[in-house]
Amino acid sequence: MGTKIIQFVVITLAIALLMNIKSFAQENDLKNYKVRFSLNNIKQPDNSRILETSFIATNKKDRKDRVPVFEASINFFNVADDKEILLGTAKTDKEGTAQLTVPANQKYITDSEGYINLKAVFDGTDGLDYEEAELAVRDVFLELNLEEIDSVKTVLLNAYTLDSLNTKIPLEETEIKFSIPGFISNRPIQQGTIENGEFQFEFPENIFGDINGNVDVIASILDNDEFGNVIQRKNIHWGINKKIETESYKLWSKVAPIWMYVVLSILLLGVWANYVYSIINLFKIKKEGAELNAKIKK
Amino acid sequence: MDTNSRKKELVKEFSPMIEKSSFFSNVWILILIAIIAVGLYAFYLQLINGHEITGMRDNVVWGVYIINFIFFVGLSYSGAFISGILHFFKTPWKNSVTRIVEIITVLSIVIGPIFILLCIGRLDRLYYLFMYPRIQSPITWDIIAIITDLVGCFIYLFLTFIPDLAILRDSPNLKIPKWRKKLYKFLAINYQDTTEQRKRLHKITSIMSKMVIAMAIVAYTVLAWIFSLTLQPGWNSTIFAPDFIFSGLYSGVGVIIIAMYFIRKYYKLEKYIIQSHFVMAGYVLLVLSLLFGYFTFSDYFAKWFSHKPADVNLLNTLFGHYFWQFIFANYIGVIVPLFILSIKKIRTIKSISFAAVIAVSGLWLNRYLVVVPTLETPYIPIQDTRPEFIHYNATWIEWALSFTGIAAFLLFFLLIMRFVPVISMSEIINHERKTNTKEDASIKN
Repeated sequence: MGTKIIQFVVITLAIALLMNIKSFAQENDLKNYKVRFSLNNIKQPDNSRILETSFIATNKKDRKDRVPVFEASINFFNVADDKEILLGTAKTDKEGTAQLTVPANQKYITDSEGYINLKAVFDGTDGLDYEEAELAVRDVFLELNLEEIDSVKTVLLNAYTLDSLNTKIPLEETEIKFSIPGFISNRPIQQGTIENGEFQFEFPENIFGDINGNVDVIASILDNDEFGNVIQRKNIHWGINKKIETESYKLWSKVAPIWMYVVLSILLLGVWANYVYSIINLFKIKKEGAELNAKIKK
Repeated sequence: MDTNSRKKELVKEFSPMIEKSSFFSNVWILILIAIIAVGLYAFYLQLINGHEITGMRDNVVWGVYIINFIFFVGLSYSGAFISGILHFFKTPWKNSVTRIVEIITVLSIVIGPIFILLCIGRLDRLYYLFMYPRIQSPITWDIIAIITDLVGCFIYLFLTFIPDLAILRDSPNLKIPKWRKKLYKFLAINYQDTTEQRKRLHKITSIMSKMVIAMAIVAYTVLAWIFSLTLQPGWNSTIFAPDFIFSGLYSGVGVIIIAMYFIRKYYKLEKYIIQSHFVMAGYVLLVLSLLFGYFTFSDYFAKWFSHKPADVNLLNTLFGHYFWQFIFANYIGVIVPLFILSIKKIRTIKSISFAAVIAVSGLWLNRYLVVVPTLETPYIPIQDTRPEFIHYNATWIEWALSFTGIAAFLLFFLLIMRFVPVISMSEIINHERKTNTKEDASIKN
């Protein structure tokens, strides 16, 4: 009886202890979190514009504890003076990011200084407050030309803005970065400052392209206070042909590596030879028994 | 010692197990046959309608069939391992368990691979595996390993049966049908228990026992590689092979304890299967529970620490959708046996058997959690978002066939025990012979 009681107590305690593990882990309180809501803008090579918001609640005590706000509906506006044009709506994903791609043909209204004012708005829910973030950027145009000048592969960039009369105004004192696409991130090849709306440099040698030797050259103005993020890219046959080496002795090749045949053969031969040896001995036992039987009968 | 009269005594002692079948065992056999009949009907339906009537879909392509396969094959490999190890022991207590272990070994390796056949959607293309094998594929290695192991286990079981078959052949007073007498005669291969024959049989059995230990390790490693060489979250782990070996041993020892408990109880073998058998098996189970817990923790800890999105997603699924199953498999399945087996006061036959039941159930569930949640959280997002494509739920067809496997295992176990005594008579005689020889030698000295 005593043993059974101990068994019962031990098992019940073990189960009760394990049940509590989850309940501790589930404790989250919204008051302990600070909501961060930000807006970002990327002008793409085709002149379309990506508007992106990040909507994340961060624990006030533990910054590593970040909870993205999922499925939140965000409205994106172009505002100027009293006007407010809805550009579109997007929902946040599992990372708390909502993205809206505004097509290249979108006509933006600008303020008196020529800035495009963008606004992202979250209307709020029972649990979360109203949030908004604003951004003002000047529309900038990047013209990327890849030319061979005197047999030198040259990258030429023209950067300008347009005034109200569509007159090109060259950019001044603006940081620019050039890169080529990489496996994990873009690989930088040059960086500098645009002067008088121009920047030029010699394209480096020994840059790998795709199987045909084509390579993308990317020019980007990043996190600029006046222009935001602007990207331009162009494809050219300036890369080295990437040789795809066919390696033999792979598991997905038609023929298995020789060592595999050797190892498998040795293992199987060893085991099956032993089986045969056992069976031969069984026959010998049978024969000995038969001889003994015959002797007894005689 | 008069060996022949001792043989007669033992045959007389065990003859009720061989000659008669009780009402209870007949009812039990009928129940098992009924379960198998339902399973055969389920198999017919699966064959006609295809895998559509199972819970398996494009993403979760493996379900309870593969889990049963891993479980039974693991049972067999651990049985082979333990049986091989027991062969080296010279103590008399091993005589009571060796045959149970050997029968478990062979039956599991027969039942297990049948489940893999149930996983195959196009059974008519099965011969392709043999016609066009890819030596590079772990599946091919596994087929080779299973066939080799199956043959090896059969030979090993047969070698251990021969002396007892000869004793039964030479027992004319046994009230058994003629066909059984003929079968004993045929299978006993003229074995007369002469010194020459005994030496020869002992030699090949010794070699085979070493061989089955090595084969069990290699074959279960290969089975683990089927998973660990696949790029899936939760599977692609170097620790999988040793983890499979120890978890297989854990379930194997558990099933041996459960089998010992029922055989002891229903065949009234309290004289042969004593408490120390359970205590010793309990110690082994205790060590294995620690090892199993250690390997499981190491595996999941590395996944959690890596912070790889796919692994985190898998852990979220395990601690979310499969919370209770995970707790039972990896906490209760380890901690409860650990508690019971480490406290001397509660280490009784019943409690040790209860710990074994918890260990075996936890281990089966652990195998389930190795297979299903991983397939539900692949690296490439699931395209088809119908609920049955995202989450796997076994249908009655799969459960019916699973229980059929267990029923077939139990039925064959019963039939083998009716054919040959579950306690090896020849081993008892051999031990007594050796003891007498030693005693004679000491008297002479």
